[in-house]
Amino acid sequence: MSAFKLKWFPLLLPAAFLLAAGSIWLQRLPAPPDNVYLDTFKTAFLGILLEALPFVLLGSLLSSALRVFVPDETLARWIPRRPLPAILLSCLLGVIFPVCECGMIPLVRRLMHKGMPVYSAITFILAGPILNPVVFGATLTAFRAHPDLAYARMGLALAVSVLVGLVLYAAVKKPPLRLSLARSGGEPHRPEMRGGKAVSVFVHTADEFFEMGKYLIIGCLLTAGIQTFLDQGSLSAIGDRPLLSYLFMMGLAFALSLCSTSDAFVASAFLHTFPEGALLAFVVLGPMLDFKNALMLLSLFKTGFALLLFFLIFALVFTGSVLFSLVL
Amino acid sequence: MNDPRVIRVHYMLRAAILLLFALFIAHLVQQDALHYYVAPRLARWVRLCPLPLVLMALSLALQALFGKRGDLCDCEHRLPASGVAGGALYSLFLFPLLLGLLLPDRALGSAAAARKGFEFAYTSPEAGNRSPGGFSAEDPYEAEFAALAGRLHSLPVIPVLPELFSETVGAMNLYKEQFAGKSVQVTGFLYREKGPGGLETFAVSRFLVQCCTADATPVGILLHPQTPISLPADTWIQVRGKLAVISYGSGDVIGLVPDEIRTVTQPAAPYVYTSADSVAAWDELSSAAGY
Repeated sequence: MSAFKLKWFPLLLPAAFLLAAGSIWLQRLPAPPDNVYLDTFKTAFLGILLEALPFVLLGSLLSSALRVFVPDETLARWIPRRPLPAILLSCLLGVIFPVCECGMIPLVRRLMHKGMPVYSAITFILAGPILNPVVFGATLTAFRAHPDLAYARMGLALAVSVLVGLVLYAAVKKPPLRLSLARSGGEPHRPEMRGGKAVSVFVHTADEFFEMGKYLIIGCLLTAGIQTFLDQGSLSAIGDRPLLSYLFMMGLAFALSLCSTSDAFVASAFLHTFPEGALLAFVVLGPMLDFKNALMLLSLFKTGFALLLFFLIFALVFTGSVLFSLVL
Repeated sequence: MNDPRVIRVHYMLRAAILLLFALFIAHLVQQDALHYYVAPRLARWVRLCPLPLVLMALSLALQALFGKRGDLCDCEHRLPASGVAGGALYSLFLFPLLLGLLLPDRALGSAAAARKGFEFAYTSPEAGNRSPGGFSAEDPYEAEFAALAGRLHSLPVIPVLPELFSETVGAMNLYKEQFAGKSVQVTGFLYREKGPGGLETFAVSRFLVQCCTADATPVGILLHPQTPISLPADTWIQVRGKLAVISYGSGDVIGLVPDEIRTVTQPAAPYVYTSADSVAAWDELSSAAGY
């Protein structure tokens, strides 16, 4: 980078403080414009961001602790060699790490650098946010009158995760990571940080936080915009058209980016207007694929691989939930 | 790969942003404003966030100020390569902070309720009619409502407590035939909706929040359509009246014929949350209040 550009960088720091100080000063001025849209947007945006923050921090902390304290070989020895046991093990990991999907991705990235195979990592990303006791309990509470939906959610999530894992095992041979460590000249050197290992954990956590945080914030912005301007009440007419209702509920799950412990409650509001299969698609697709984690996955994997993954998830969830409604 | 000098600048900027995030959360906690955004069970975790954020900021600052030249590298986590990219990245992180500090913390109201679609029948409508007098449940998930309904039904005036708002409304909807004619007292914001044929619908309602405000659902009791109300939407009101079965949309819901409506100030906690065991919570709250 040229010295000219460098000159301007330090100016950002006082500018940031000026903005913050200015905003506190502005609070003392007469009431700001009274705009219900702006209020709703702010409440939804900060709500999702603050909700995700502890999980992103936890995921980043776990990931950097793994990087600093666990040697690469150790983890590789734990993972079964054969694909099916490895995939099933990944499904169960979610029971031990009940982290929401935004915390999952930094953790999985580290696991992959430590030698976890792609199919195993993807299975963990897909199964983790759904296949755990917390989510099962929340789903059961939300669908009090339809407990079969809660069981179907667990079953379909397991089936989709295992199938995606198997397809990736068979189809993907080249490493799909965007930033492979090999590119930067073999093994990364481990620089000694000031303050020892504890400090280096927090430096890496901060790096992860900024890397994932930007996708999280963009995802929150898009979601909050949709929450503010989309009239969910007037959409119930779509529920009468079978095929459209499935596609619509899946699109809604993608756009709303809800947390997997609360999306079932939102879905239960559509119980009278949409077929049960469409609601199943909503609660299975949402935690696997939504605005914020699609952006994070695109940053982690090469575009072609990420698109293949999105397609697989979408197709399997759609087929699975249609089958569920036919069997019922 | 970036020059160590550039890395130092990035680290300082990042440390400042992390510190601002920690301060923002501390500010929300101190102003008791966290409940406008996340439910109490998540707020516990959000309250802890400033600790790792400050530790991250201090560790970054330590590297920026005292880190040795050769040890500063961004080979694993790439830093923005140009000033513009860096500026864009950091303004993205400053945006939520600005939004949070510039605009006042406000509870969701009628406008959001209209977008999300109002939920008057919190429990499924199929539940339908019950044997008169008894509150029997068909499955274990309704047993909780049945037990709560039994406790509420015997009271001369049923209080819709904020701690059990959705459960109370749910129980009254599930057993609406039995609850018709009972007196209730309920507090919430006034929701107004233009129905078909220009007829206005009024309701006294609250937002039910599960995790965060993104999943907030409006829950409430419909006021009888003939009620004359001139108050603006979002006014906080306390309504006393008798329950009645009212037709709404394609089905019947529990509604309220008001005897008295008075304006009240917005409660400190405007949203309501679900209770893990509403019957136990009711027993505790009612013995404390002496119902």
